[in-house]
Amino acid sequence: MSWLVGQASRLYGVRWVTLPPLVGLGVFALIAGALVVAPRESVEGEVQRVFYIHFPSALTAYGALFVVFLASIALLWTKDMRWDAIARAAAGVGVLFTAFTLATGAIWGRPIWGVYWTWDARLTSTLILLLLYGGYLLARSLADPTDEQAARYGAVFAIFAFADIPVINMSVRWWRTLHPQPMVVGSDGPAMPIDMVAVLVIGLIGVGLLATWLIVLRAEAELLGVRTQALRARLDRRIGA
Amino acid sequence: MEGELVYLFAGFAVFWAGLLGYLVWLQARLRALQAEVQRLEERLAEEVTPLEAPVGRAGSSARVAPEGGA
Repeated sequence: MSWLVGQASRLYGVRWVTLPPLVGLGVFALIAGALVVAPRESVEGEVQRVFYIHFPSALTAYGALFVVFLASIALLWTKDMRWDAIARAAAGVGVLFTAFTLATGAIWGRPIWGVYWTWDARLTSTLILLLLYGGYLLARSLADPTDEQAARYGAVFAIFAFADIPVINMSVRWWRTLHPQPMVVGSDGPAMPIDMVAVLVIGLIGVGLLATWLIVLRAEAELLGVRTQALRARLDRRIGA
Repeated sequence: MEGELVYLFAGFAVFWAGLLGYLVWLQARLRALQAEVQRLEERLAEEVTPLEAPVGRAGSSARVAPEGGA
C-alpha cells in the first residue's frame, strides 16, 4: 500500500510535465484513428465511428468509478481524508463519462435502432449508475468537505453503488436487450477486424489519459476546497479569540 | 449517407463540447479556489493574536501602511 502511495505521489509530482502532452497526443491519435484510419463499417456505415468514443467512454467511466471504489475502501481503512478528495474527483469524472456514454449511445442508436432511448436493461442500468454517483456527488457537495462522518457515509454508499457495474456488464446476457452482445471480445476472440480493434485500443488509451488528467485536476480542486474550509475555520477562531 | 454524417458529427460534437465545457468549468473553479486560499492566508497573516503581537492592541493589523498612502 505504501509503495502504491509512493508511486502515486511521484506521478503526481510530474503531472504538469507529462500528462498534458500525452493527453494531446492521445486525443489526436483518437480523432485521426476514428475518422480516417478505421475502415467504414459495411452495415451501419459512417455512423458506426461513434463507437470509437462510445466504448472508450464507457470503459473509462467504469475505470474512474473503480478508483472511487478503491479510494472509498482506503478512506474507511486509513481515515485519511485525502482519499475522500480523490474519491470525489474520480466520481465527478466517472459521472461525466457515463453521461457521454449515454449521450453518444443515444445518437448512435437513433439511425440504427430508430429510437434515441428505450428502457433496455443495458441502457437502464447505465442510467441508474449515473443517478447513483450523481446522487453521491450531490450529497458530498452539500456536506462540509472536512466532515469525516459524511465522508464515511459517502464511502459506504460509493462501495455499494459500484455493484451496478457488474450488473451493466451482464445485462446483455441476463436479459433480452436491443443493445448488442459483447462485440470487441467474444468467447472465441475478437469479434471485429483487427484494424478496428487497433483504433479502439488507441481510443481507450487516449480517453483513459484524458480521464486521468481530469481526475488529477479535479482532485487538486477538491483538496483546495478542503484547505479553504480549514483556513476559514482558523480565521474564525482567530477573530473569535 | 448525409444523414449518417449528421449523427456522426453530433456524436463527436457532444463528446468534445462536453469535455471542453468541463475543462473550462474546472479551470475557473481551480482559479477561484487558489485566489480564495491566497486571500485567506493573507488575512490570517494580518490577524495577530495577543501573544504574537509585539506592540499595539490585540487583533490589530500587523501590516504597516506604506508612507504617503494606504
